[in-house]
Amino acid sequence: MRILKIAYLNITFYFLTVTFLLTCLPALGSLIIIFALIFPKRIVMKRLRRAISWFGAVVIKIFPWPLVRLSYKDFSESNIPGPYLFICNHRSASDPFLLGILPYEVVQVVNIWPFRLPILGVVAKIAGYLNVRELPFETFFIKTTKLFKEGVSIAVFPEGTRSRDNSVGQFHSAIFRVALESRIPIVPLCITGNENIPPVGSPYLRPGLIKIHRLKAITWDKYRSFSPFKLKNYLREIIIKETALMDQRNV
Amino acid sequence: MTEQDAIRMTNEVFADSFEIPKEKLLPEANIFNDLGLDSLDIVDLVVALQKKFQIIIRSDERVRNIRTLGDIYQFILTIKKELNK
Repeated sequence: MRILKIAYLNITFYFLTVTFLLTCLPALGSLIIIFALIFPKRIVMKRLRRAISWFGAVVIKIFPWPLVRLSYKDFSESNIPGPYLFICNHRSASDPFLLGILPYEVVQVVNIWPFRLPILGVVAKIAGYLNVRELPFETFFIKTTKLFKEGVSIAVFPEGTRSRDNSVGQFHSAIFRVALESRIPIVPLCITGNENIPPVGSPYLRPGLIKIHRLKAITWDKYRSFSPFKLKNYLREIIIKETALMDQRNV
Repeated sequence: MTEQDAIRMTNEVFADSFEIPKEKLLPEANIFNDLGLDSLDIVDLVVALQKKFQIIIRSDERVRNIRTLGDIYQFILTIKKELNK
């Protein structure tokens, strides 16, 4: 029965995703070209990034439903104005798609592999997603600072690579150095339940419940005296505690 | 400089600059996997060590081979010995 469920999930998911991609992409491409002829680049990029978010949300929320469900809880409490720096733990290749639930213009800082995905890699490049492996720190700093100034939120997986045992790996400090200069609110985004959607090294999704907890933003007032090292570990500890609770509760 | 001095002063750098608890500062601790430093933190570490020990190691190729805290103790002792010659 379980094998049948997995087969059904993967056949429907990949069929719908490829169909959606092949039908929507030409339409989206045409729309972007028309937009580019009429509107300034800034507006075109904003629309493109939101379109990518919608695509991610549809792919992860609708196509694998009901065998894969998504539970998003927002614990942010206050309305601190953006843009934000989202710091996420990284367990699965589905993580970048999950960020589609965020209702903002977001640029993701990703490893090299998403850029190698057919079609999506090209779209990510056009949308200005940042490949942390290929950028020297100085260039990374300039690009991210500019994005924040333009009002664009940035989402980062500071572990740099997917966890193979659900633990939270050591964080890289580059983005935290930018945060200290940009004085941007930092939002921990904890993701659990997708470690098998899909598992590392496999393209096949398994049924499950993906949980995302958006925690309270940490403002510059709170972290202004921190070193980059202390700041990255402070965020890491918050995410370790929350993901442990989320794994235990299984809710 | 004695080995104990090198250990004490290096540990002070880690405690002051990175706020790493003293119980984690073991000679076998890997500075990347156990203590959580990355390549940018290493730049900060080199600056802090230079200041603490009054040495210049920024362009020393041997820094690239350092993996553990014990490697740093030995590296500092070697540098100090070379300077005293």
